[in-house]
Amino acid sequence: MSAALWRSVAGRLGGSVVVAWGSTTAAFVALHALPGNIADILAGDLDYPGLREAIAAEWGLDRSLAAQYVDFVRRIALGDFGTSYELRRPVADVVASQLWPTLQLAAAAGVLALLIAVGVAVLTAGRGRLPRAVASLVELVFASTPVFWLGILLLMGFSFTLQWLPVSGAAGWQALVLPAVTLALPTAGLLTQVLREAMEKTLEQPFVVTVRARGLGEWRLRTRHVLRHAALPLMTLGGWIIGGLLGGAVITEKVFGRPGLGTVTLNAVLSHDVPIVLAVVLLAAFVHVAASTLLDLLYVLIDPRLRAS
Amino acid sequence: MTFLTPSPRARRGLLPLALGLVSACSVAGETPRQGGQISFGVTTDPICFNPHRSTQQNSYILIRNYIDSLVAKGSGGRFLPWLAQEHAVSADGKTYTFKLRPGMRFHDGTPLDAAAVKFNFDFVRETKNTNAAGELLQAVDAVQAVSPTEVRLTLRRPDSGLLESIASVRLGLISPKSLQAGDGLCAGGSALAGSGPFVFQSYSRGQSATFVKNRDYQWAPGYAAHAGPAYLDKVTVRFLPEYAVRAGALSSGQVDVIEGVQPTDVGLFKDKPGFQFLVGPAGAQTSFTLNINYTVPPADDVRVRRALRDGANIDALVKSVYQGTYRRAWSNIGPDNFFYAKALENAWGNDVAGANRQLDAAGWTGRDAEGFRTKGGQRLTIEVGYPQPFVRDNREVLIQGLQALLRKNLGFDLKLRFITGGEWAQQLQKGSWTIYPNTYLPADAAQELQGNIGESGFIRAVADKGDKELFRLINDALASTSAEGKKKLVQDAQRRAVDQAFIVPLFSANYQLAAKAHVRGLSFETQLDSPSNFHDVWLQGE
Repeated sequence: MSAALWRSVAGRLGGSVVVAWGSTTAAFVALHALPGNIADILAGDLDYPGLREAIAAEWGLDRSLAAQYVDFVRRIALGDFGTSYELRRPVADVVASQLWPTLQLAAAAGVLALLIAVGVAVLTAGRGRLPRAVASLVELVFASTPVFWLGILLLMGFSFTLQWLPVSGAAGWQALVLPAVTLALPTAGLLTQVLREAMEKTLEQPFVVTVRARGLGEWRLRTRHVLRHAALPLMTLGGWIIGGLLGGAVITEKVFGRPGLGTVTLNAVLSHDVPIVLAVVLLAAFVHVAASTLLDLLYVLIDPRLRAS
Repeated sequence: MTFLTPSPRARRGLLPLALGLVSACSVAGETPRQGGQISFGVTTDPICFNPHRSTQQNSYILIRNYIDSLVAKGSGGRFLPWLAQEHAVSADGKTYTFKLRPGMRFHDGTPLDAAAVKFNFDFVRETKNTNAAGELLQAVDAVQAVSPTEVRLTLRRPDSGLLESIASVRLGLISPKSLQAGDGLCAGGSALAGSGPFVFQSYSRGQSATFVKNRDYQWAPGYAAHAGPAYLDKVTVRFLPEYAVRAGALSSGQVDVIEGVQPTDVGLFKDKPGFQFLVGPAGAQTSFTLNINYTVPPADDVRVRRALRDGANIDALVKSVYQGTYRRAWSNIGPDNFFYAKALENAWGNDVAGANRQLDAAGWTGRDAEGFRTKGGQRLTIEVGYPQPFVRDNREVLIQGLQALLRKNLGFDLKLRFITGGEWAQQLQKGSWTIYPNTYLPADAAQELQGNIGESGFIRAVADKGDKELFRLINDALASTSAEGKKKLVQDAQRRAVDQAFIVPLFSANYQLAAKAHVRGLSFETQLDSPSNFHDVWLQGE
């Protein structure tokens, strides 16, 4: 790789560190800008003997704001998100223990959404008016359906009535099916629309005529050549998809009674467990930064046009 | 000092369990069956499983399965034997003595004796252990283990709410060995060893908790339907926060019992073959009530407050919002509470003409462009500041309904504003809040009044401008050493609060259980209003 490419990679990595630092600063500012005493805010709805003293000691509330800020950034950088005074456990432990079920769900839903999108787009792109109109309508419906409602509908159909799948839990693959489908469908709806449009544009390209002239079958043309070209806009949506899946996971987990970050976040918001909320907000920001940096780098590696000459 | 005679084991059917609905009592001729397991779908994954630390009412439903208390609260305000066979209070109300049953053990094998009780109470009281339940023992000066089976509590001042506190799950007993482990025990599991009919086997956050039968259990509370170990081998609790999902899980047979049924789902289970629907009492926690800050104008005028109290048909409003699941309230103390002022029923409210006369007399005779009453160019307006974290259960809808009626009936501008917890804390500190809607955790009735409308209640920052007569009644009730004397004081305080319209009680919430019909022996715990533990529950053969 050329030195220019390395510079570009280093620049993007540096930029992502700056964004992460910015979001940490924003969290600190937001915390201090809230009305009321900071110890009260961190305590949430709680009040028990010794609580305020513990908070003051842990957050160094007797020190200057600047010193508190430096300490805050240092702790976050080291992965120390403080203590949840509600759960009475270190925030990092709580979040770490709940990360896996959420990742499982988000990954399953992401893969499923991608499979559906690719399958439907390959089958319908550039085909007759009617199948496309039908597919487009169905996609639009799923893309605009609230995850919450979709989850309940699927539960009613497949769990309560047909009793094929269990209502809740994280045990076994059966319990993952409905939540993953719930979370995947709205994402798949949007991805399919984007992918089909990109494929249709690609199908109009001159090289497609050339490929066809070589006698390549329609199926192989679509999967081998057109899909590759059309994948770029899909990657642009990568950051959005990750955000959507993590955000949707919160609601999906609640509907299905699954463990995970969503459940922890929701409970933390409801019980005003500020240290946990802060950690989740920062984690979400870091995940976004990491994902978009990774995608940027992938672009540079995949698409020769983006490489600095 | 005389020992109070323990009352005979209360028969299940005598408890005020269900509002004239299906009673949970064992029907004559039914013999409870041993064995089996059930799954229980609940609304809330507890924040903390340690009773000394948790202040979340929905956590107590689960905690009661593995935690016992020294005394049990029965119906009619009586305290029955539990871990203590007998208890006595000295005439001056400053010495409490408890005689323990012999031979009791915690789940980890540690003996449950006077030393263990002393260790628990001292541990809870110690500030550095940061236990929320420490507040319940503030009047206690010393705890002594007089003999292996006798514990004595010495108080600094009489505290008429102490037995209630000791009967509460919050002062339930945990093995000293568990407490000494020092990690706070919030995460539950087998590390949290109590003495209850079930052993806490495992917990998976956001998903489930399992409890297995304690085969050595021989110390059931005085209100239990049977002595000895529980019937069921295992209880699996599943956390299903969504109403519709819980109802669906029960109707499709994936769980056996659920807690929390929304009004529109009641019809799925009530009087339906194969199912049962039970409604709990409304006595332990306070009714949902508008507390009015009567030191801030225009609410410093009793006529304005009375107009607010009487200007709408609260009965019809509660019916339309809750479709009969909740009762309209007449006092802030729950209707099934021993200290409830029943005389307040039908004694106030829904008098639109009277309310209008009060406002006319108070000089609010002008009308502005929007039809609201004015005085000296000022609109008649009071704000309800409702802290967002406490908004639930369609309570904001109820207040909005009241708002619409008061506007229509009186030209009274009741504003509803959602505020943050922080803003509420600030208002409380300054005494600048105007109307605060709330329900209060289960506690002794006098303590509930003190915490809400007493001298150290919401008005505490401006207590010097508060109602001295109300404060006196509540303080005397707290210091009272006779049950009857206390009852009169607590009732007088409720009457004063409603008569002066310091409060506008709206409705009394309760717990609901829906279950498969073959699940027998379900009931509610008087001290908490919430579903009892599964000690008496058994499965009827098909």
